[in-house]
Amino acid sequence: MVEETNIATISMSQQFSAALKRDLLLSFRRKSDLFNPLIFFLMVATLFPLGVSPEPTFLADVAPGVVWVAALLATLLSLDGMFRSDYDDGTLEQMLLSPQPLMIVCLAKTLAHWMTTGLPLTLMSPLLGVMLFLPSDAMLGLVLSLLIGTPTLSFIGAIGAALTVGLKKGGILISLLVLPLYIPVLIFGSGAVQAAVAGLPIGGYLALLGAGLALGFVLAPLATSAAVRVSVSG
Amino acid sequence: MNPKRKQRLALVLLLVVGVSVAVGLALYALNQNINLFYSPTQIVGGEAPKDTRIRAGGMVVEGSVKRDQESLRVQFAMTDYAEEVLVEYTGILPDLFREGQGIVAQGAIDGNGVFQAVEVLAKHDENYMPPEVAEALEAAGKMPKPAEEVFNK
Amino acid sequence: MPEKKWMPRWFYQLASPKWCYQITGKLLPIFAWLALLCLGVGIVWALAFAPPDYQQGNSFRIMYLHVPAAILAQSCYMLMAIAGAIGLIWKMKVADMAAFAAAPIGASMAVLALATGAIWGKPTWGSWWVWDARLTSMLILLFLYLGVMALYAAMENPNTAAKAASILSLVGLVNIPIIKYSVEWWNTLHQPATFKLTEKPAMPVEMWLPLLIMVIGFYCFFAVSLMMRLRNEILRREKRASWVRELIVSQ
Repeated sequence: MVEETNIATISMSQQFSAALKRDLLLSFRRKSDLFNPLIFFLMVATLFPLGVSPEPTFLADVAPGVVWVAALLATLLSLDGMFRSDYDDGTLEQMLLSPQPLMIVCLAKTLAHWMTTGLPLTLMSPLLGVMLFLPSDAMLGLVLSLLIGTPTLSFIGAIGAALTVGLKKGGILISLLVLPLYIPVLIFGSGAVQAAVAGLPIGGYLALLGAGLALGFVLAPLATSAAVRVSVSG
Repeated sequence: MNPKRKQRLALVLLLVVGVSVAVGLALYALNQNINLFYSPTQIVGGEAPKDTRIRAGGMVVEGSVKRDQESLRVQFAMTDYAEEVLVEYTGILPDLFREGQGIVAQGAIDGNGVFQAVEVLAKHDENYMPPEVAEALEAAGKMPKPAEEVFNK
Repeated sequence: MPEKKWMPRWFYQLASPKWCYQITGKLLPIFAWLALLCLGVGIVWALAFAPPDYQQGNSFRIMYLHVPAAILAQSCYMLMAIAGAIGLIWKMKVADMAAFAAAPIGASMAVLALATGAIWGKPTWGSWWVWDARLTSMLILLFLYLGVMALYAAMENPNTAAKAASILSLVGLVNIPIIKYSVEWWNTLHQPATFKLTEKPAMPVEMWLPLLIMVIGFYCFFAVSLMMRLRNEILRREKRASWVRELIVSQ
């Protein structure tokens, strides 16, 4: 009886920070998980000058879209691992059985995913901008749009990852489920960078990305935890 | 209040706050000209950026269409019933393009304030009517015209 | 369970696959005849008797396919999401089956709306396809349908698949208001709605009446195909139930 009340008194913030710390620690122990999306990001951006045209004016024109598409694909690539190992070793089941709301764990996991993929991608994006001759005035727009946009990608992606974690071949299916929902983020994200290139105000685009983030923040953990429940019990 | 209820209340509050933040930001964004669409008034007023790919829309001014005899070059004026902008375009115009028709053009404003279009598309409004009715309305001067704000969003 | 009394009786009856199978069996011929009648009358009226438009001439007649298909693609998504939510909340099997049955119909309506839109766009706007907000959000709707269908196909356990697909379709519901209001929020090339619930339609009676008949016809057709798919699905999933065995033996 005493033990039970002890468990129940762990507050939501304690639970959140414990789950976040655990996930961050795990990904820092497995360095490949941390670096693979970054290397992928860099490689995809390299394909365009080599595959399409190395001409600086052309590259500057397509740079906003290319960097955003590359960031989106890199995020997509890392989604499958979000719940996979916890599902395989039964940790996810234990989390589901714990008396604390599953939503908090999902929120923490999503945030950890963003901190290990979206945030590094954002920090690395100026390098890609330079590689693709993006005007330096637009760098701030690029970083800001990715900073607001990539968490939304993690939130939407978490839903897809949770839905497919019970399947052996979740990889392609995740893309099918998640990409349609990524399209608006891509449109407003690359739109912000294009506006920054043209010297136009980017406030409207960032506001729309922010609206997506706010919606993702409150709704995605709900959907993710429901999806985890379905995947684990099904 | 027991902890379970407290959690639920927190969740509902969070939802309300999140959704209202999203709605507020979206409303702010809708007031910005996010899709780079400019009306002739804004172009004449200098609000539209020069040498940047933008979209512009308006009605083709009656009697302003001049076609080049040698090439596919066309020049016409576009209006929102307040200001007029000259548009130049080389290429095939849509079938529905005619004087008094609403169009949306994509292109850039050059140094002389002329809109150099790379694409001209005809915009159809939501009004449909048989030809006889249109003639009758025309004769009576009651033809529905797109409101000015259609081009001034 | 006394706390459940606030829902009407038919709601619980619907939850019974057997009752649902029987009632759809009775409704099916009615809707089939209605669909045949409306679509027949509507098509002949729209193609042969409705007056041409003063600007677009005869090419506007494709509207009589395009508009109902587009309306239906959206309402079918709503139906799928709502049925999915009912299945999730009340654990109602028939609702899950209805959501499963609706997905491919909605997807084909979205394809029809996009295809007729492209064919209409070429003569009117001068372009098959424009990446504006209305067209893009409609394309996303099609992708969402395809994602839901892929999820159903990937999961072997129908109950898990139904729950997972319901969650996905509820998430995708955010797209519906975007489609609806895209023409008002952004300056799209796509025209605003000619039909509005609150206003008089912006076309004369001899033009909108056949359109209305076509919309009703499409809805009836949708009901027919939904019920047919639902009945199939009920039989497939309830194949171990005694009433299904009796039904098959009796035929």
